Amino acid sequence: MSEKRLSVSSPVAAAACLFALDALAVVAALLPVVGAQIKSGTVPALFSFLPLGVYLTGFLLSLGWLKLIGWRGDAGLFGSSALLCGIGLVMQARMGGFSMDWQQLLPLPAGILAMMLGAAVTSGGRGAWMSKVGWLAYAGAVGLMAAMLALGNRFRGGVFMPGNMNPSELVKPLLVLFLASYLSRRDREFSSATIGIPTPPLRDLLVLAGLWCVPTALSILLHDLGLMMLLNATLLIMLFAVARRTGYLALGLLAATAAGYAVQRFSAHARARFDVWLDPFTDPTGKGWQTLQALSAMYSGGLWGAGLGSGEPHSIPIVTSDFIYAALAEEIGLFGCALLVLAYLIFFSRGFRAAGGSETVYGRLLGAGLAGSIAVQALLNIAGVVKALPMTGITLPFISHGGSSMVTVMLMAGMLVGLSDTGRAAPERKEADE
Amino acid sequence: MHEAFASLLNSAAGAVLIKILKAVFLAVLSIGVVSMAVTAKPKRGTTSFTLLRIIFAVAFVAVLCYQAYWQLLGFSHPKFARFLRRYNRRANAAEIQVLRGPILDRRGRVLAAPVRGDIWARRYPLGDAAAHPLGYYHCKYGITAVERVEDPLLSGYLPESDEPPLSKRILTPRAKEGKEVELNLDARLQLFAYDQFQGRPGAAVVMNPRDGSLLALVSSPGFDPRHPQSAFTNTVTKCAFNRAVQGLYPPGSTFKPLVAGMAFDAGIKPVMDCPGSGYTPGPHTAPIRDSEYYAYARNGQVWPGWNNMNLKQAIVHSSNVYFARLGVQCGTERFNSMLARAGLNAPVRYFAGSVGELKSVAGNAPAVEKPLQLAQPAIGQGRILVTPLHVACYTAAVAADGKMPTPRLGAFDPPGEPVRLFSAAAAAYVRSAMREVVTSGTGKAANLRGLAICGKTGTAQVPGGKDHAWFTCFAPEKNPSLVVTVLVEHGGFGAKSALPIARDIMVEAQKLGYVK
Repeated sequence: MSEKRLSVSSPVAAAACLFALDALAVVAALLPVVGAQIKSGTVPALFSFLPLGVYLTGFLLSLGWLKLIGWRGDAGLFGSSALLCGIGLVMQARMGGFSMDWQQLLPLPAGILAMMLGAAVTSGGRGAWMSKVGWLAYAGAVGLMAAMLALGNRFRGGVFMPGNMNPSELVKPLLVLFLASYLSRRDREFSSATIGIPTPPLRDLLVLAGLWCVPTALSILLHDLGLMMLLNATLLIMLFAVARRTGYLALGLLAATAAGYAVQRFSAHARARFDVWLDPFTDPTGKGWQTLQALSAMYSGGLWGAGLGSGEPHSIPIVTSDFIYAALAEEIGLFGCALLVLAYLIFFSRGFRAAGGSETVYGRLLGAGLAGSIAVQALLNIAGVVKALPMTGITLPFISHGGSSMVTVMLMAGMLVGLSDTGRAAPERKEADE
Repeated sequence: MHEAFASLLNSAAGAVLIKILKAVFLAVLSIGVVSMAVTAKPKRGTTSFTLLRIIFAVAFVAVLCYQAYWQLLGFSHPKFARFLRRYNRRANAAEIQVLRGPILDRRGRVLAAPVRGDIWARRYPLGDAAAHPLGYYHCKYGITAVERVEDPLLSGYLPESDEPPLSKRILTPRAKEGKEVELNLDARLQLFAYDQFQGRPGAAVVMNPRDGSLLALVSSPGFDPRHPQSAFTNTVTKCAFNRAVQGLYPPGSTFKPLVAGMAFDAGIKPVMDCPGSGYTPGPHTAPIRDSEYYAYARNGQVWPGWNNMNLKQAIVHSSNVYFARLGVQCGTERFNSMLARAGLNAPVRYFAGSVGELKSVAGNAPAVEKPLQLAQPAIGQGRILVTPLHVACYTAAVAADGKMPTPRLGAFDPPGEPVRLFSAAAAAYVRSAMREVVTSGTGKAANLRGLAICGKTGTAQVPGGKDHAWFTCFAPEKNPSLVVTVLVEHGGFGAKSALPIARDIMVEAQKLGYVK
């Protein structure tokens, strides 16, 4: 019935309408930011509007691309990805992310291309072949992490590749691909349960545990606790998705609590973050500084925010990546943040729905894994910035600064956009949709 | 086109435009999000992962609620409020929006005011003269004195009780202008008093003895509150130092009215001979002599001493010999309890700000254990050290029928319970003696027509330097309405250097209507 509410015939046209709204919001947000930059003379005048141009052109091209491949998926999924990506663009422009040289603009078109690629690969049920390359994805993920361990530079407790590239971002979709293919072949085994408690055969469980050990151990060795948490939460969501047993979530919650306790017990790095979370006021100018500056930014923002470009977010350390949400909260206020979170929730919700609508077990798992891992990442980041959870040092999808992060999340979003088109005939109008 | 855009944003219309764009952004964002929420959902498949969607929705909403606590009500978390006040670097940015409030004197004249367009700049019309009581507000050197303890008010963070109701606080943007702070100072009197020192080191306290309101609080030399760094580096004049409340000096003879009041209440009013040879309290101590002894000795004469001197005459002539003996007669118990009541070992609070108090340093008046050790403290020497504010307070007790007020720099400081130092009769007795000091004693230079000043000179000996000069006084004799205490560091004889300053301040105050 909601389809009739918006009298738009094709999904691509609906997506185009939503994108028009996104573009309007992005323009309204970007004008004061660019104006402030022109005023202060930090950016050559012609260059100021270039990111906006790239954004508009890129997404219009991707709409054309969707039309070309005959996409008939969920317009809301496309619209929310474009909106989140646009807000990310605004924030990067606001934090001076494009002020140095034209290469900083590259992640945006690269991300849009990745999105087009992802959509093309999975839409209309075309992605079935991917279930055959699960092991390749696994090898790729482990190989990437091992290479980082061997070649990377340590920086602020994390490991980065030369040029501050962070290929560990790519580990997430690769492992989702692997898990989707591995679990979809054993869905019966992993669904077995006695009185609600999942009891998969011991052999399968041990094999999965053995396989999973490697990326977990590598992420610990890389001191990337955020990645470890994210990967394990994704595993949990995918186990739940394959078995559809709440028992997995309950067991997972128990395991997460135990693991969290163990980690903060044995890792000084993690314990420091844990202590700061519990009481940032014991060392307000040292360990608690970042969190408290972030909270100060939020407090200054209030309900309506200082206005984009009118805040003072640079007093928060690492504001452009991990703490970008604090800058947003300062400038668009709690009201804007609520809208942003709503946009995220629509994206995840539509992503899960797209996953659920998939014809194959593989598609269902892939979608749940992609949507789940982005959702967990966003939740961990936002909760960490507002001090609801300890900081885990992971970025905010779509919005944080970082080329590899941008390309990866856009690729994942594109795959979800593709998955929302199941390739079935257009839905019958007779059937009640909700 | 870009230049046009930039100049448009720079203009007043640009500010409005930016606000409109902000509203447009939030509005379009709302519309966009809502339309996404209602756009056609694809047909439900085998499952729609409702549980996962609910879990994430609940988790994100919970995080938003937690965020709302900090973002809207952060200031009600006391530790966070303290952090915001101290370390929120946005204070400078916030003040683009929040114009720091002014500090006003008792008649609404500006003592400190913001400068539009420059967040950290502050205008201080009195300049050096009021730098000590007002303090400074500097991006690098921080905030001091009144600027510090009233910072929440001045910078627009209100104390909890003054805040508008919760709903209003959340829905409306934060205050654009800080509140103003009113002091009891009189700008003209403060400036006049400061100018009398002509840069000599010293301090002056001008106070109403009834309610304790401080009309002037001067420390000389002052410094430019806009550039406090110059004061820190000046080790010669030590001008960053607030001598009125941080300087510790022996009170010298200004202590005698306090001792006299105590003795009067104890009924100890002996008539004594005070021989020129002085008084030797113990076997191993130097004799205590009257100042006349030294004056005579300088002229090659011998001071014969006073005969049959009573308490009042002893005050009038400031006889050290008399008071040293009187102190010994009063005994340690009375003396120590008097020290405690006069609060000489404690700091004196003189300003109750919204986030802290301003206090003087504590005086140093150790309890005396043996009666013979009372001889030096009883004449305000020995180990007794007090601030000019302490002296002004006990002088006010003489003026206000024996009740010592709490000094109040802020116009809305609570009056505080006055402390009874001695009886009204004792106060009247000492008062008449202090009047005689001016009419026929050591303070004759303050004997004016039309203004009955009661005063006491003091010349406090200090090791390694010229004596500190004191004059503490009040006027008029009947129903005194103003206390003036002046100290001139190493000023020599009190009647010579401190008295003229105090007298002129008193005359000026009378012109301004503070002496009735």
